[in-house]
Amino acid sequence: MGLEFLARVRKTSTWLGGVMALMAATYVSPLLGLAFAAGALWSLVNLQLIEQLVVSLTGTARGTSAGTRTSGFALLGMLFLFASGAVLLVLLSPEALVAGFLLPLAVIVVKAGTKILLGSRAWRGIANNRWRAGIAALALATVTWFALGALTNAGGQTPEHSAPTSEHAQTAPPEGAPGEAGSGAAGTATPEAHGDATAEPHGEASEEKEEGFTNVIALLAGAFPHAAWAHFLEHYEVLVFSLFIALLLLYVAFVASRNPQLVPSGLQNGVEMVVEGLSGFFISIIGPKHGPRFVPFLGTLFIYILSMNLFGLIPFMHSPTASLNVTVALALTVFVYVQFIGFKELGPIGWLDHMLGSPRDLTGWLLAPLMLPIHILGELAKPISLSCRLFGNIFGEDMLLVAFASLGVTMLPFQQLPFGIPMHALFFPLALLGSALQAMVFTVLTSIYILLMLPHEHHDEHGHEAGAQHAH
Amino acid sequence: MAPPQDKRPDDQKRDPSGMRSAATLLAIPSLLIISPLVGFFLGDFGDKRFHTSPWLALTGLALGFVAGGREVWIIYKKYLETQER
Repeated sequence: MGLEFLARVRKTSTWLGGVMALMAATYVSPLLGLAFAAGALWSLVNLQLIEQLVVSLTGTARGTSAGTRTSGFALLGMLFLFASGAVLLVLLSPEALVAGFLLPLAVIVVKAGTKILLGSRAWRGIANNRWRAGIAALALATVTWFALGALTNAGGQTPEHSAPTSEHAQTAPPEGAPGEAGSGAAGTATPEAHGDATAEPHGEASEEKEEGFTNVIALLAGAFPHAAWAHFLEHYEVLVFSLFIALLLLYVAFVASRNPQLVPSGLQNGVEMVVEGLSGFFISIIGPKHGPRFVPFLGTLFIYILSMNLFGLIPFMHSPTASLNVTVALALTVFVYVQFIGFKELGPIGWLDHMLGSPRDLTGWLLAPLMLPIHILGELAKPISLSCRLFGNIFGEDMLLVAFASLGVTMLPFQQLPFGIPMHALFFPLALLGSALQAMVFTVLTSIYILLMLPHEHHDEHGHEAGAQHAH
Repeated sequence: MAPPQDKRPDDQKRDPSGMRSAATLLAIPSLLIISPLVGFFLGDFGDKRFHTSPWLALTGLALGFVAGGREVWIIYKKYLETQER
């Protein structure tokens, strides 16, 4: 058992602890999840400090000033760690902290046990024969099934799970009855309760809260219900996620272009490939003369929308594009930018001529008063159609995943287990395709709208400069 | 031996994933729906302001239909031009 084994233990414990803490925060209580995460983190830091101390005292650096310094820092760190442990024990649930603390130790035991098991003759005997392996897997699944059933039944006897629901059922009718409109109790709710003007908004608010998967901001708001910053984050949830994604993309772009190499590799290679692909794609639509100018705008738009669409597929995250506010903002940006390009490229007279349908003869001028409102309506329909389409598709995708995730949970007979069959995973390929396609639809249409505002490139190529200064 | 000939249609060669075609075609239904709605609501707003109900709303609706059809026609024409390029 060497340092490599401890590094593997750290990695496994970090992932497992994170997932378990998030599950505890979602299904039990946010504070309990936080306590579990704090306990696991404490234990991991403790292990790291012990490792440093042992290495500095027994390794090659023993006796040197560097080794002494490292061991001194490790001891100082331990002092702080124990002080913080005492504070955590006062502030958070001791049981959850201890559970989190025990996690890395349990991982060490399981990993060591697995190492012994995998090297044993008995394991080789099972694994080398397909029939024995099949019987062993079947036996394990059967034992797990019955054990889970027994555990659930035992858990169901305790009042922990049933008490809050019965209490809620008793206290709900006077003020919370409309809030249950979305639940099974809706059928029994009285019409008076639904017609109550003061209670109705509460019902709507609770329904809104239940939409979609839980995300980190909702968890934080649940963990700190009285904190102003948590309310602020919850209120501006969509903006926070959008900003976070923008900063993430900024960081990736910065890291990829920080130290450019002539022969790219790694992240620089990947980013260059994406940029090249997008550049070629948009230039093929707008044309080689005007296209390169608009590649930064269109490429950024595509990557940003795609990232926002896909962000909702990451557990405990949220798709900002599932909110109409974000899609309208994006579509308005495109609308203003396209009109600005029209003004800049055609000039005010040219722009007005474009809006009148470019009349060049008597029939054109007679139709101009009709063409102006038609053109204005067409221009107004563009941002609305862009925003509604993106919002509708991404929101629909999210709702589909939520519906099938709920179905996966309810399919299991052990209803009180904090997990279920991941039915929604079947729709991940569809969601991935839909996200990419919607980002593509938005940007391809933006590029076509820009193209419609530009003077004809086709005429320029044939040298008819004079006839080129009008758009479609 | 002559190299094997690529028998795919031109559209497929230029747009191997078919994403561009799909993106352009997906724009058509929403534009056809949104344009008449925008026209109707703008007309309705005008009707309420000038007490001309329902004439401006109906005119807006009709103009919206025309605008939607025109936008779709222009987008499709432009798309065909870019495919030929």
